[in-house]
Amino acid sequence: MKLFVDMHGREYEVDLIERAGQRELRVDGKVVDLDFREADTLGQFIVMMDGQSYGLSIEGDTHETHVTLAGHSYAVHMEDDRERAANLAAKEAAGGGGPVEAVMPGIVVEVLVEEGQAVEEGTPLLILEAMKMQNEIKAPGPGSVAEVRVSAGQTVAGGAVLMVLKGED
Amino acid sequence: MFKRILIANRGEIALRVIRTAREMGVECVAVYSDVDDCALHTRMAHVAVPLHGVTPAESYLDMDKILKAAAETGAEAIHPGYGFLSENAEFARRVKAAGLAWIGPPAEAITVMGDKIESRRAMAKANVPCVPGLTDPVDDVAAAVKDAEGIGYPIAIKAAAGGGGKGIRIVRDPSEMESAFRQASGEAVSAFGDGRLYLERYIDNPRHVEIQVMCDSHGNRVHLFERECSIQRRHQKLVEEAPCCVLTDQMRQDMGEVALRAAEHVNYEGAGTVEFLWEKGEFFFLEMNTRLQVEHPVTEMITGVDLVREQLLVAAGEKLSITQDELKIHGHAIEVRINAEDATQGYLPSVGILHNLRAPGGPWVRLDTAMYRHMEVGLTYDPMLGKLIVWGPDRISAIERMKRAIAEMNVGGVRTSMPAALTVLEHPRFVSGDIDTHFLESLTIEPPKEHDILVAAACAIYRHNKAKRSAMDPEASSREEWKERGRRERSGYARRLMERGGQV
Repeated sequence: MKLFVDMHGREYEVDLIERAGQRELRVDGKVVDLDFREADTLGQFIVMMDGQSYGLSIEGDTHETHVTLAGHSYAVHMEDDRERAANLAAKEAAGGGGPVEAVMPGIVVEVLVEEGQAVEEGTPLLILEAMKMQNEIKAPGPGSVAEVRVSAGQTVAGGAVLMVLKGED
Repeated sequence: MFKRILIANRGEIALRVIRTAREMGVECVAVYSDVDDCALHTRMAHVAVPLHGVTPAESYLDMDKILKAAAETGAEAIHPGYGFLSENAEFARRVKAAGLAWIGPPAEAITVMGDKIESRRAMAKANVPCVPGLTDPVDDVAAAVKDAEGIGYPIAIKAAAGGGGKGIRIVRDPSEMESAFRQASGEAVSAFGDGRLYLERYIDNPRHVEIQVMCDSHGNRVHLFERECSIQRRHQKLVEEAPCCVLTDQMRQDMGEVALRAAEHVNYEGAGTVEFLWEKGEFFFLEMNTRLQVEHPVTEMITGVDLVREQLLVAAGEKLSITQDELKIHGHAIEVRINAEDATQGYLPSVGILHNLRAPGGPWVRLDTAMYRHMEVGLTYDPMLGKLIVWGPDRISAIERMKRAIAEMNVGGVRTSMPAALTVLEHPRFVSGDIDTHFLESLTIEPPKEHDILVAAACAIYRHNKAKRSAMDPEASSREEWKERGRRERSGYARRLMERGGQV
């Protein structure tokens, strides 16, 4: 199995082959000798590598995981060949526009644009309040507002689509 | 001393008060909202009273419900903690009118210090140095632009009723005034119900240094030295320490005396904090927080004084147990706030269930938190889950101890601010003491590359094992969900027991 593993913009290629209970692991082509044990069913793992022992916490699914190691937090994204191709195709289809999602759960304080309005990169689209702080959500690129899906006063979940932008042709 | 007190708060600060009260033989009444029916403060108190409701307004901010709970349980005093009703003068007055003791300063002191404009006027009178600015609120954007000319840019727009960094906007150019004014006003209305704003000079590279004071009703006043709280983001503190590594003994004494003068001028009683902006040896009054503060433990660690104990003594009409001459700084203490936010993603709020907790330990490590396994972290209340505090004989050993403690800790289920704190503690500028209030915002929080190969390899095995398990046993994941639900339902046991009048 070949995997593309991305953490904070740093990408690694991991090859994992399992044959008759023997596991062979390569990261960027280099063989890694690693002993991996589950300490509990809650996400604690013990990893031995190069004679050193590490306690890791891993949580998440087969695509997005979060790792805590010695107090630092790693946001890890994984995809295999097939998933990578599918994700790239989806990105391409959206062009410069696409949905504007709520990066956090909160309350819409004010919608600052109307459907059909042209926007530049950085045009404030709406104000979202979370944890009593107001945040301006800005247009990621030039285009126009195709659809506004929320109104002032509305509570939105993290990841909810707030509006849809149409990219510049 | 009181036999029984009510704590009008939740989370770690409710536990903090309960702990000292228990040590003093004082019984505690906890109040709780529907969301908090399994929270630790409801389990650790002697009596727990449901307030019902979910939002703060329906529960911890509802004065009628809290006063009713106090009357029904025979509590003799109310401790407000921090946040919620702690700086609400009307509540302080109503507590006293109900014949109860208020574990906090007189209502008049809260009123004066709680209003940024009033407090500046009072402090100018008491000869306490203030930041250049206006003492009157501005009416609109046009007036703000005009007044800003007189004060000089950069300008800070602040909410008159503000606190905790809410409603503050910085303006560096007149063209930014309109949008900043609108946002500040909106935030002020939503957070405090009062949209009045005022302007003052924004000091570019200040340190935030604050003095802890403690006063009783017999005219005794002491200061317990300073706390340095320059590591903050959007005016929310993240790392606090005591003492401040750039203060000389003389400066410390001067600031302490100014802080006591401020307290005396408003006839202060109880625990309070006088906050200053400090730049190149000059200091300016920022505000006074008329309550126990989140970061009070660092002061406790270097002085050996239990501030909650002193608060209870003062509220009961007794004298402070300490004098200024007895107070000495012993070693160095650091606190890190554990907030539910993803420091690596622009500090976005993070929600989830704390399915996996591991607390740090060892010598001189203190963890003040109300976290428990399977607690649900939502958006209803403040994102602060707790505080990690360490002590060391000097600043460098305290930094090393904190790094060690953070590495031991794990808060599984949500992202936290811990990686940001660790990045600060590892930074050469922090270690050398060269910091200001912008330092944290200048940092990009990213894990070090050192262990990338290990993390990448471990994640690949994790994915492989997970995929293999679900291929062999497709029902396993739904079974996990079922178990999770069972655990949550069982944790309601404590609540039901208490509702029947039993104790846990």
